[in-house]
Amino acid sequence: MVSLSNLRKFLVVILAGITLTACATQGKKGSNIAGDVYTGNDTVEYLATGVKDRVFFATNKSTLTTASRDTLRKQAGWMRKKSKLKFAIEGHADERGTREYNLALGERRANAVKDYLMTYGISGNRLNVISYGKERPVNSGSNPLAWSQNRRSVTIKAE
Amino acid sequence: MSKSIFLSLVFHSVMIILTALSLPFMMRTPIDLPPILSVELIQITDKTSIPFAAKAAQTLEKIKKKEEEKRIISEKAPPTKKKKEKPDRIPLPEDLNKEKKQIVKKKQNPEEIKDEIRQASEFEKEELFDPSQIAALIDKSKEETAQTLKKDKKITQSNVKTAFATGLTLSQEDALKAQIFGCWSLPLGLPYHKNLLVRIKLRLKPDGTVLRSEILDHARMNQPGQGFYKVLAESALRAIRICQPLRVPPTGYEKWKDLQLNFDANEMLKG
Amino acid sequence: MKKIILLILCFFIYNNSAIALVEIDITRGNLDPLPIAVSPLYIEPGSSDIKDADKIIKNVGEKIAEVIEVNFKRSGLFNPLKKDSFVQKPDIAHIKPRFEDWRLIKAQALVTGKVKVSEDKLRVEFRLWDVVAAKEMVALAFSTTPKNWRRVAHIISDKVYQRLTGEEGYFDTRIIYVSETGLKTQRYKKLAIMDQDGANIKYLTLGNELVLTPRFSPKNQLVTYLSYFRNLPRVYLLDIETGVQEVVGDFPGMTFAPRFSPDGKKIIMSFAKDGRSDIYTMDLKTRVVEKITDHTSIDTSPSYSPDGKYICFNSDRSGLQQIYVMRSDGSNVKRITFGKGLYGTPVWSPRGDLIAFTKVHKNKFYIGVMRPDGSGERLLTENFYQEAPSWSPNGRVLIFYRETKSDSEGKGFSAKLWSIDLTGYNERLIKTETDGSDPSWSSLLSK
Repeated sequence: MVSLSNLRKFLVVILAGITLTACATQGKKGSNIAGDVYTGNDTVEYLATGVKDRVFFATNKSTLTTASRDTLRKQAGWMRKKSKLKFAIEGHADERGTREYNLALGERRANAVKDYLMTYGISGNRLNVISYGKERPVNSGSNPLAWSQNRRSVTIKAE
Repeated sequence: MSKSIFLSLVFHSVMIILTALSLPFMMRTPIDLPPILSVELIQITDKTSIPFAAKAAQTLEKIKKKEEEKRIISEKAPPTKKKKEKPDRIPLPEDLNKEKKQIVKKKQNPEEIKDEIRQASEFEKEELFDPSQIAALIDKSKEETAQTLKKDKKITQSNVKTAFATGLTLSQEDALKAQIFGCWSLPLGLPYHKNLLVRIKLRLKPDGTVLRSEILDHARMNQPGQGFYKVLAESALRAIRICQPLRVPPTGYEKWKDLQLNFDANEMLKG
Repeated sequence: MKKIILLILCFFIYNNSAIALVEIDITRGNLDPLPIAVSPLYIEPGSSDIKDADKIIKNVGEKIAEVIEVNFKRSGLFNPLKKDSFVQKPDIAHIKPRFEDWRLIKAQALVTGKVKVSEDKLRVEFRLWDVVAAKEMVALAFSTTPKNWRRVAHIISDKVYQRLTGEEGYFDTRIIYVSETGLKTQRYKKLAIMDQDGANIKYLTLGNELVLTPRFSPKNQLVTYLSYFRNLPRVYLLDIETGVQEVVGDFPGMTFAPRFSPDGKKIIMSFAKDGRSDIYTMDLKTRVVEKITDHTSIDTSPSYSPDGKYICFNSDRSGLQQIYVMRSDGSNVKRITFGKGLYGTPVWSPRGDLIAFTKVHKNKFYIGVMRPDGSGERLLTENFYQEAPSWSPNGRVLIFYRETKSDSEGKGFSAKLWSIDLTGYNERLIKTETDGSDPSWSSLLSK
């Protein structure tokens, strides 16, 4: 027969096991981050119907995902129609890096976007690159979701 | 999504199974504590004063034997009196040292010796005093006095013994060390990766005050790039001054009147 | 036979007694800060009050002593003793201290002095005494304008520090930093200067445009920094005395991370274009621009060695941020960091013996030091977020900044300046009026 104290220990174990289920990572909750890149629509604005104004990046990276390329293709299509407009491409980084390197990283991200738009025939002198490093976060939180939303490049109509 | 649920279930069940399996171990009775070992504190003084030359000691033995028949019985106080000495005092150094002391002051009376022994030093460990040893010492000293009387100009046995007992005992050394440790304020700004050794030679008076001090490597004091050496040396001198009068062994002045203190800040400042 | 043996032994002893010196190794002491008494300076009769901005200072002798005490306390090396235990009056103590009185309160050193204030002149005399040895160690006098009474206190602190530690002091210095206010998503940043003890804060820009990473020139007259004036991020030069600003060079893209060369003649910085950042220098006199690194990677955060012969910098040419050292002409580039994690913001110590850096590993930020060849890496402090160490001019103290976590509304966010000793001890918060970041230490003002 199982003694009382042993039964108690057993229950503790079960309880611990149940509490573990609470430790779901954010990725599990209808996740908006895939491969460290934000895939959601919060913080996203639209240049025109169906044309998102921004793309997101993985930590320390400036490579464009398939989704990003899709967004940029649509941006390019819209830009060709508005041939008189010029644009500023902002590059941003999350707060989890040193300030000066983040300035350079932001520039690299914005440049990746510019280069890709140029492959769709948009002239380089219509696209002005500017980096803000980590200075202009869009989400002030200190968590992976906020950081993923801040690792972005935003296309803005220039005056 | 479903993949993660499945994986979660698998891992949770694995964990539950593992803990369930380990349950029988949780039912064990607590381990018996091992029996308490009794530790004996042994006084090491008598054994730590290492004679310098083993060979010479042997020779000494030979000479002693030859002199046995010339022993003089003097009127020295019975050993029992010494038992009343305060328990916490400097342990007597090896027999040889004591004799040497006596010989140096040829006119020394047994009473005088007693006085020196009574001079209690506060930092002493509790030394177990062995009166029988005193008897042995007394006997030997008798021998020695006999020797000196016979051969004035030649080197006496006592002088021979000096050579073998130039060091302080470990406990005497530790006692002095502990004092200086307490008085030395290490300059915190010293560069931690340089040579932080300063050696100071001292000549002490019998009461433990410093007669004169000398910084070895004096040239380093003014070398460019070695500004910290001056600071280090000054802190060492300050420590010595603050520590005065040093609590010194009541006997064996010849042994400790010249000290060299090697202040090394490296151990404390590393890293 | 016996005699022969004895003679031999005699010879033996004679040699032995020559080396009969007891050597004792003292390897431990106490690491408490040195107890020092700073007596309020005696104000000579006939002295007038000091008008400092809108305040009138009547007891400048006491004030100077207070500033000195704060300096000593913050350095972690000295323990200034409480004034209420002082027995001797300042005027007498300055002429001939009664060392027994000072020894009673356990002081090992004593600072005394006197001041004379007239309309336009402040004359100060001070003495440093070794209480234990009962003798004078330093005696100096100098005069300046009354408004500079704080600098007098700092200079005295430096002289005492130097005499008692063997190193140059760092108290007569200033710190330039970025003062921050506002929401985390829209921070207002201004350039600010203050004395190293937090006094005399002055703002150099208005806060209309983003300003970042300021640095002093070695002569402290000029300041260089990054400004987003007209939305164009460029390196600027600012003359503190005249307030005149100018853009450095004519680059067709973002320039950032500026520093001065040790002789103050050049500015070194990064220039970003087409996704890559290279290091450039510009001679301030000739305006000649030189390209120093030439790689498709990001090369930034350059820092000269104190003799100007080498430059350490941050590059991701290996894939991730690491620290490299090269000759100041750009040749002989060598990587020096190989540990786990990312390394950034390398700063060469003014003593030339160490490079301080920021390290990021497993989501934690570290401030550390290592030798210029990359060996001897020592991490001094760990935090959720901290970076950008800057050296005090004596290469002993590092100043850096930390940011705290915040929720998605930005609540809980703060940025503060901190300092730490080279030994890893004496970590201190530096009080600033507002939040602060990007601090940089000037060289000694009196040089």
